[in-house]
Amino acid sequence: MTVFTFVAKAGDISRIARIERAGRDGEGLLTGFQRPQIAAHIREIRDYLEKPSAILPNPIVVAFLGRAHLEPPARPGAASRRLVIDVTDGPPGWIVDGQQRFTALAGLHGRDFEVLVSGFLCDTEEELQRQFILINNTRPLPKALVYELLPQVGDLPPRMSNRSQAALLTEALNYRTGSALKGLIKQQTNPKGVIRDTVLQRVIMNSLSDGALRLYAGDDALLLDKGVGLISEYWHAVRTVFAADWDNKTPKDSRLIHGTGIVALGYVMDYLNGVTGAETRDEFAKGLRLLRGKTAWSDGEWDFGSERRRWNGLQNVPADVRQLTFYLLQVIKTELAAQARAA
Amino acid sequence: MRFIFADSLDTIDPGYDFLADRNGAGRTIHRDDQYPHEFLDDAPYDGILVSRGIVGDARHPGKYSEAQLMRFRREGARRFLRYPETRFPGSMMMGDCGAFTYRNLPAPPYSAEDTAEFYADGGFTHGCSPDHLIFDFDEPGADRSITDVPEDVRNRYEITLQNAAEFYHAGSRLGGGFTPMGVIQGWSTASMADAARSLADMGYDYLAIGGTVPLKIDQIRRVLAAMRNALPSRVRLHLLGFGKIEELSALEEFGVTSFDTTSPLLRAFKDAKKNYWMRTPSGDLSYYTAIRIPQATENNKLKQKALEGSLNQEDARLLEDAALKGVRAYAAGGATLEQGLDAVMDYWAALNWDEEVSPSRRADAAAKQRKVYADTLTDRPWEHCGCRVCREAGVEALIFRTSNRNKRRGIHNLHVFHTHLSEFRQP
Repeated sequence: MTVFTFVAKAGDISRIARIERAGRDGEGLLTGFQRPQIAAHIREIRDYLEKPSAILPNPIVVAFLGRAHLEPPARPGAASRRLVIDVTDGPPGWIVDGQQRFTALAGLHGRDFEVLVSGFLCDTEEELQRQFILINNTRPLPKALVYELLPQVGDLPPRMSNRSQAALLTEALNYRTGSALKGLIKQQTNPKGVIRDTVLQRVIMNSLSDGALRLYAGDDALLLDKGVGLISEYWHAVRTVFAADWDNKTPKDSRLIHGTGIVALGYVMDYLNGVTGAETRDEFAKGLRLLRGKTAWSDGEWDFGSERRRWNGLQNVPADVRQLTFYLLQVIKTELAAQARAA
Repeated sequence: MRFIFADSLDTIDPGYDFLADRNGAGRTIHRDDQYPHEFLDDAPYDGILVSRGIVGDARHPGKYSEAQLMRFRREGARRFLRYPETRFPGSMMMGDCGAFTYRNLPAPPYSAEDTAEFYADGGFTHGCSPDHLIFDFDEPGADRSITDVPEDVRNRYEITLQNAAEFYHAGSRLGGGFTPMGVIQGWSTASMADAARSLADMGYDYLAIGGTVPLKIDQIRRVLAAMRNALPSRVRLHLLGFGKIEELSALEEFGVTSFDTTSPLLRAFKDAKKNYWMRTPSGDLSYYTAIRIPQATENNKLKQKALEGSLNQEDARLLEDAALKGVRAYAAGGATLEQGLDAVMDYWAALNWDEEVSPSRRADAAAKQRKVYADTLTDRPWEHCGCRVCREAGVEALIFRTSNRNKRRGIHNLHVFHTHLSEFRQP
């Protein structure tokens, strides 16, 4: 099979190649192979391409099945050859890879990108389909690794920048001297950690959107200073107040280290900060001590009033997280009200 | 008569970019979005109703995200909705359980105690007892007695009254700033009147009538008449989920103190035809039909066609683009009405292509649709409304497309309805 590469603009590509999506004809026979456009994906690419710094290094792959040929080299041994395409009956080529990029390019106003095109001539439709499957069947990077890389890069789509801030704080908490969570967060590059990075990122994202960190959202410097400080102070308090359920425990033998406990306690942090104004480990510990004797992190049972749950009966699913959070906040609220009455 | 808006996170992004069809740069959900009372110059309602079913709780997810739910319970309804008493003096902040969300359960998932807790956390001024919907409704003269109705109906009736009795006590602990409201459910005017009397005897002086959503206006009138006969005049009445908002006079006649509805907002995108409201010089509500130009690559119907391979997305995008440009050019005076309509109808034809229908039927449908759209475009109603939606969005508010346009049109409808109600209220 012959493979070649050249440079073209989106307008030129649309004259020689089309996107043929998978579908059925009248007899139920399969035609084409591409999936439909993914609007959000295309918009992200277009947003990126509109930036002055944008580059598009990976090529659009186009296949030809007839109606295109390479002319013999002009002189023996020449590296480049002329590609001749017959477009009298419309574009004869198929876009095999890069349809979303190509669509984004086509919708771009005011900027004419030159992109690399990798082309190949194939003999049969089967060969074409095979190439399509092979090219498009790659495995994406593990999410956790992508998240870990995020803080290193700026200028990302908004979908990633929320996660990026959370990843930035998680990294700081895992490696900064004096952090309550130093070395404890399990990341791709720290496999011996016990608290999952994605769980802690959830706590941080919740707090960024609706909790204590809302004040600092949007300002990385402030987040890295005050934000990391606040979270670290809080988990210092958690470690102290619930030492028996924390020290040398893993998610398997304590729900305190487990996704359910971490996320629920994240809401407790937002509550104590929002309602009692707590910011330091002592202030947080004062609030957390109201929970003493009412928890079952690593043995016994939770008494949720309407039902009882064994300590390890709690799973990291939204319903259990909400149940546990409501319970913890209820205990704190009741105790705070009792204190207020006594005072 | 007070109009309470039943909210379910009905916000818009004020920085939404209509030409690029996307949110403003750097927009953060909820923080940068605005509620109708924030977006318009004046709040288009006299209070807000928030349902527990929408907010969600430990065992039942609502429409709020988990983090929003926690914030709502921590900060209270007024802060969450940015609806402070200081800026909206005398406004009601009303809660209910959202009985429709648990209509299929044998009993409400909420108790009187935890409902009072919800109202306390939310800082509500008014809150309904936890009721259970009854869907039966007897015709006049065919009233069944409590022994004649199915067990399920009887259970729902008794649960509603029992909860109200418990809730009156639980609610009284919330202090003087809170008014508990007893909810009436029943299968007939007589059973509802009995329920109302029982609630008044428990001590309630503000009652909410539930289960009227499926009722016709003459049925609602009979219910209201029965209430007034059964109750001392000091007892105030609220009508829950009042959808027949063209029939305000019925409420006025029977001295209804307040009602809640989402209709003006919802009809902007749930009603196929009457989705942009206006008030005629004679003081009636009338309607225009917004022009549908769905997003070619995001609309579910079109996505399905693309999956089957029956729609070429590149072609659809060109038609979509031409339709948008056509309407905008017409609005700006750069195209004739016919040019604008041609572009809209070309896209319409691609969207509504259906092999089953005969060509002549298709042509009839297209002609009808063209006429409806011509009425909207000819009258240019967006130029005759002074609300912020129409001032800023102009013809975009008349395009049926994406939540930001559709909800803006809903907010315009709220403005029109509230104006209509205020004028109506003056003798």
